Amino acid sequence: MATITRARVAEGLVAPWVEWERRCPKGRRLLEAGTYALTEGAIAAGCRVFAGYPITPATDIAEYMSKRLPQVGGYYMQCEDELAGMHACAGASLGGLKAMTATSGPGYTLMHDAYGWALTNEIPLVVVDAMRVGPISGITGAPGQGEFYVARYCTHGGNFETIVLSPSSVQEAFWLTIDAFNLSERFRTPVTILTDQVVSDMWEDLFLPDADEHLDFVVPRKHNLMMPFYPLGGADLDVPPNIIGRGTGVCVSAYTHTEEGYDIEEMEAQWAQTYRLVNKIRHHRDQLSRYETIGLEDADVVAVAYGADARTVKTAVLEARRQGLRAGFVRPITLWPFLDELYERDCHYVVCELNYDGQLVREVMRAAPDRAKVHFMGKSAELHTVAEVVAGLQGVARAGRIPELPYIWTEVR
Amino acid sequence: MNKLAAKYLRPSQIPTKACHGCGIGMIENWILQAIDELGLKQEDVVFGTGIGCVGRQTFATWGGDNFGATHGRALAVATGLKLAQPDKKYLIVVGDGDAAAIGTSHLIHAARRNLGVVVICEDNMGYESTGGQFSPTTPAGYVTNSSPYGMVEPSFDPCDVVKAAGATFVAETTATQWHQTVKIVKRALQNDGFSFVHVRFPCNENFGAYALGTRDTLKNLEWIYEHTQGRKADGGATDFVWETGIKHDASNSRPEFTKLLRDMNARVRAERTAAGAR
Ligand SMILES: Cc1ncc(C[n+]2csc(CCOP(=O)(O)OP(=O)(O)O)c2C)c(N)n1
Ligand code: SF4
Ligand SMILES: [Mg+2]
Repeated sequence: MATITRARVAEGLVAPWVEWERRCPKGRRLLEAGTYALTEGAIAAGCRVFAGYPITPATDIAEYMSKRLPQVGGYYMQCEDELAGMHACAGASLGGLKAMTATSGPGYTLMHDAYGWALTNEIPLVVVDAMRVGPISGITGAPGQGEFYVARYCTHGGNFETIVLSPSSVQEAFWLTIDAFNLSERFRTPVTILTDQVVSDMWEDLFLPDADEHLDFVVPRKHNLMMPFYPLGGADLDVPPNIIGRGTGVCVSAYTHTEEGYDIEEMEAQWAQTYRLVNKIRHHRDQLSRYETIGLEDADVVAVAYGADARTVKTAVLEARRQGLRAGFVRPITLWPFLDELYERDCHYVVCELNYDGQLVREVMRAAPDRAKVHFMGKSAELHTVAEVVAGLQGVARAGRIPELPYIWTEVR
Repeated sequence: MNKLAAKYLRPSQIPTKACHGCGIGMIENWILQAIDELGLKQEDVVFGTGIGCVGRQTFATWGGDNFGATHGRALAVATGLKLAQPDKKYLIVVGDGDAAAIGTSHLIHAARRNLGVVVICEDNMGYESTGGQFSPTTPAGYVTNSSPYGMVEPSFDPCDVVKAAGATFVAETTATQWHQTVKIVKRALQNDGFSFVHVRFPCNENFGAYALGTRDTLKNLEWIYEHTQGRKADGGATDFVWETGIKHDASNSRPEFTKLLRDMNARVRAERTAAGAR
């Protein structure tokens, strides 16, 4: 078998910050934590309100925000719980200020009520969920990836799409946070940054563009000052969000609404609202693709992972290629809407994620041409090692299955 | 349509779907009178509601900006909104369930922070839009659809709760006390801080029917009135008494919450400028 060198492998990152980095030559190089990058990304994106409740491993975001926001004319609010935190963010955003909250699984669960309220009323805001292993309180200092589906369905009732992004490095956390704010403004919807304990706690090289450098790629807050407040039945993007306090007479409620925002109990209105909430995202999926790939053009077996776990998985893919395997790599950065197109190749997939129940793997099974060739390597509370993933890739390439490995679950029912 | 309704409300949204004889519309009319007597305009006031009869039957009736939060969360939303739009008056019109059950923590902490809003808690002593179950303000022993043998829990007085938490204006009134209610709402709106106005009114459909045995509006209002006086029409003493009126008035005695944050920001920025920071 011919040795495939790294130079011959197509590597690609598709994300707006590839271009942003080129446009920001001036700045500072720091050694900082993921939580710091998430905070600075939000500030750079124009976030001026943080309202939340501390929880490991997102607490440092709250602390950084409490220091940084007053310096830039913003407001830090420590609320009585996460329900209050996200509702206050929604209120602040409705009043015209960009807002963010940050939490971990136990708090994310408490936000579903506010998430739905913001989503149905098309209120932009950003929520960070730094996942730790669960269920429930789990282990506070150990990473998990248990909220892949919770983030998709971060409120009840159905009839909506959500936008969820996941970074895998400190630097990426910075750019991706700006991106999350931009998307929330353009799509008039809450955006979840689904990160994990490793990315939020780890310290890495971080480039911050100069504060006085004009970040012209930041989408500014605009105000919708006219009816229709809810462009029902349409899927247009870049409709400015509604604002309360400017005397427009806007009405914002929890119920299915008319274009004025009045409660209504009619099928037509329900349909028109659903059409918009679903299709403003589905019809613009091309603007939501962010991902990294390696070697998809010739791969026999493709490893799939996101967040911090994608880092060791990527190294393993490169190592497997060095050993002569035609291995490929997919790291979805946009988790939702799910990027089916990344799994078009008819080959084996090895899905690595930090849970034993199997979440991401189910979507890959749905999207891939041959479900039988999708394999699961679930791990809990700890990143996959390079050796484990190489063994998994070798096993699949040679015998069509993942070999037995300690602490790795392969069954998906 | 009366003159106040024509001036302040949305013609398309009134009359509401509230039951005939319900006190919700009457109380709203009194609130409008207070707003009018203070010379406030539609654009000066943001109207926030919760969920339940009180929330849903008033949401979007106000001619200015409106928001209807999920059950219990109107104050949480208002906390963020007030930061962004500090110059507006906020009328947070909610039920006893919203304010004193599911949303109690927000109520207590908004009072503690002295958030600049007026909470009008329209208390019909139960969860009426879900068909009349007891709430934390249902008088102990009374029969509702979920206390068929009489409510066994003690009730509490939300005025005591917010006063203990630090509210700067606290008052109690009822749907039988027009002039007092208007006066109280006016005073509440003049406090640049947390004002709590507790207004009891009868739900004829549920509380009236099951706890009091009648859907007759006048009889139910009379029952409320008797309890403000401690004396029944026949001269006997009522089973308990509600003391109404202004219960605590420390209006404008301490800074409003969002002003504290703005002042802190100004101080931080001035110190940074002085220190030469960018
Ligand atoms: C989270 C949540 N729980 C329960 C309900 C159902 N629910 C709607 S209104 C209501 C009670 C309302 O009581 P109150 O606030 O006193 O208003 P009222 O109808 O009595 O005016 C309940 C339990 C809901 N809408 N949301
Ligand atoms: S159920 Fe009771 S509170 Fe609700 S509208 Fe009817 S009378 Fe009023
Ligand atoms: Mg009630």
